Amino acid sequence: MPLAQVIARQRQSVTCFLSPSANCDINIDGEFNQSSVIYSGYVKLSREMSSTAMKKKVLLMGKSGSGKTSMRSIIFANYIARDTRRLGATIDVEHSHVRFLGNLVLNLWDCGGQDTFMENYFTSQRDNIFRNVEVLIYVFDVESRELEKDMHYYQSCLEAILQNSPDAKIFCLVHKMDLVQEDQRDLIFKEREEDLKRLSRPLACTCFRTSIWDETLYKAWSSIVYQLIPNVQQLECNLRNFAQIIEADEVLLFERATFLVISHYQCKEQRDAHRFEKISNIIKQFKLSCSKLAASFQSMEVRNSNFAAFIDVFTSNTYVMVIMSDPSIPSAATLINIRNARRHFEKLERVDGPKHSLHMRMR
Amino acid sequence: MGTYRRIDCIFFSEFHPTLGPKITYQVPEEYISRELFDTVQVYIITKPELQNKLITVTAMEKKLIGCPVCIEHKKYSRNALLFNLGLVCDARTKTCALEPIVKKLSVYLTTLELESGFISNEESKQKLLPILSTLLEELNVTGACTLPIDDSNTIHLKLIEQRKDPLVVQEYDVPVFTKNKDHFIKSQWDLTTQQILPFVDGYRHIQKISAEADVELNLVRIAVQNLLYYEVVTLVSIFQYSNVYCTTPKVQNLIDKKCLQDECIHYVSKLGQRTNLRDVFQLYCGLTPGTTVRDLCSRYSHQLQRLIQFGLMKGLIRRLQKYPVKVVRDERSRPPRLYTGCHRMSYKELDERLENDPNIVVCWK
Repeated sequence: MPLAQVIARQRQSVTCFLSPSANCDINIDGEFNQSSVIYSGYVKLSREMSSTAMKKKVLLMGKSGSGKTSMRSIIFANYIARDTRRLGATIDVEHSHVRFLGNLVLNLWDCGGQDTFMENYFTSQRDNIFRNVEVLIYVFDVESRELEKDMHYYQSCLEAILQNSPDAKIFCLVHKMDLVQEDQRDLIFKEREEDLKRLSRPLACTCFRTSIWDETLYKAWSSIVYQLIPNVQQLECNLRNFAQIIEADEVLLFERATFLVISHYQCKEQRDAHRFEKISNIIKQFKLSCSKLAASFQSMEVRNSNFAAFIDVFTSNTYVMVIMSDPSIPSAATLINIRNARRHFEKLERVDGPKHSLHMRMR
Repeated sequence: MGTYRRIDCIFFSEFHPTLGPKITYQVPEEYISRELFDTVQVYIITKPELQNKLITVTAMEKKLIGCPVCIEHKKYSRNALLFNLGLVCDARTKTCALEPIVKKLSVYLTTLELESGFISNEESKQKLLPILSTLLEELNVTGACTLPIDDSNTIHLKLIEQRKDPLVVQEYDVPVFTKNKDHFIKSQWDLTTQQILPFVDGYRHIQKISAEADVELNLVRIAVQNLLYYEVVTLVSIFQYSNVYCTTPKVQNLIDKKCLQDECIHYVSKLGQRTNLRDVFQLYCGLTPGTTVRDLCSRYSHQLQRLIQFGLMKGLIRRLQKYPVKVVRDERSRPPRLYTGCHRMSYKELDERLENDPNIVVCWK
């Protein structure tokens, strides 16, 4: 594929990658810092990413102003919802690499949704954008007045996906639900979901309703990321063993930076089906508040007469939350068990596949 | 100035919140094709890393020079205003002189926007189109433009010709005017230059000018170098009777070009006494290695100096210099006891000694 080499007048050289149809010379006058790598089309992974890590491409698309960059900033860049008001428009494609669980790298393509860019994606940048996609996340602004146009772009995306990455998983986020009246939300979402599933055929799509102002954002992204984790079944199996050994009611595993729930075990049904994302949201906000005071969140214990909840650092990439409803078990015992389980789960994260036996000290 | 640096098109591009990057105005209309813009738009309306930098993109046989500007403020939809006012030329054009113009225009527009919302206000933005038209025309025709925008802002632009760096001027160089001295309005030059001007006559060398005009030597050198930069003077060597010259291939021009002949005759002729071309040419051809000016003087008396001067200015002749080279490598022989820097000798004596030393060969080149 042809590249365009950029020669800066001063000091640093900047490499620009253009889509294959373009063949230009570029000359830039100015100062750059060493890490500037600008690209519109190709991805250049930094050397920090280990070569053994699995790389998965995630496309984030949708109309301009629908909320893609805001979501990405909250989940992956520690923004709080209010801060996203300051964000500017995304020019062409913004690439970011998110390390997940030590052995997974998410290659996030945040694609600006203005008409000029969209048209480009379907024409000159088509192959480049739509090849090797693991997940397509398409964001719909629930308040949009141009439903036909939105659907048209969505279908063009699906066409391109079908041609280039037919096995990609498709997620549709009906976003900005907070702007809809509370009693209307379920109805409107159901309508949209039906339309989208119908339009997406023969491809299957999973729909979520989301808003940056509540936990629904975490639910959607947890579910999406869950699909990408390479050894998630094994993780769940180990988590179940762990929970049963220590007699916990429920155990949650969170990814450390994003606080998305990546695995959980529960021994019985609980009342609130949305508790996971609520916890994600609450803990993440708390963690951010701590960091504003230059303190880093380490662990938490919440106890009342019915239960005790322990949230603690687990492996280098995860946090764990353990819920115990047996009041006779002292905190210390649970904490020791968590500590002992760490090594095992740490090993699990590093290696892709092999089975390890579980060794733990009992109370 | 001239077609050499012609601007083919001037455009104003901005980022629209729903449409994305687009060309809002361009003069002449439709000059930049859809295809061209699609190819280069990412360097016209750019990501943050490339903003506020001068960017030249060459594609599809055209060169686009622009400076993408980003003004951040929450009053703008998407929290920022992105625009770029650029020029389009043919890909082969040398565009160095246009770069400061583009940068300056970006600064003007930024100021206008910050002061009065010139660009974000739809009404005032429309004034850009006639402004672009005027800019294009005036820059192409006169290379300069003065355009009032509103009560407090006027655009002043000028295309500065890029010239090569001038030579270093030495004390023994002789500056001579390439055009008639009287063509210049002396009051436009700086004081130093004005003071030395009467002494620049094509015979006085820098050191002499410095002495006679009572101006410090370095200042004279700089002033003359400045005149050299603007190609107002050229440098020739000091006229001495011992000088040796020879012709260059350019002397053929004297035969071929009538205008050169006329110029030569005009330059060399004294009042009333008209020189003819035959004598002139004969003299030039008489300049050979080994023949000093003194030798020729005996044959052609008048206006020899002016003839030599004209020949040097036009590159018809060039001076030959002597370069002594020690040829015998003899470690045993002791260095000549006189060449230690402690012994004075006259120019003539030095010449004689060098000629007579068997170990030294003198090259003329």
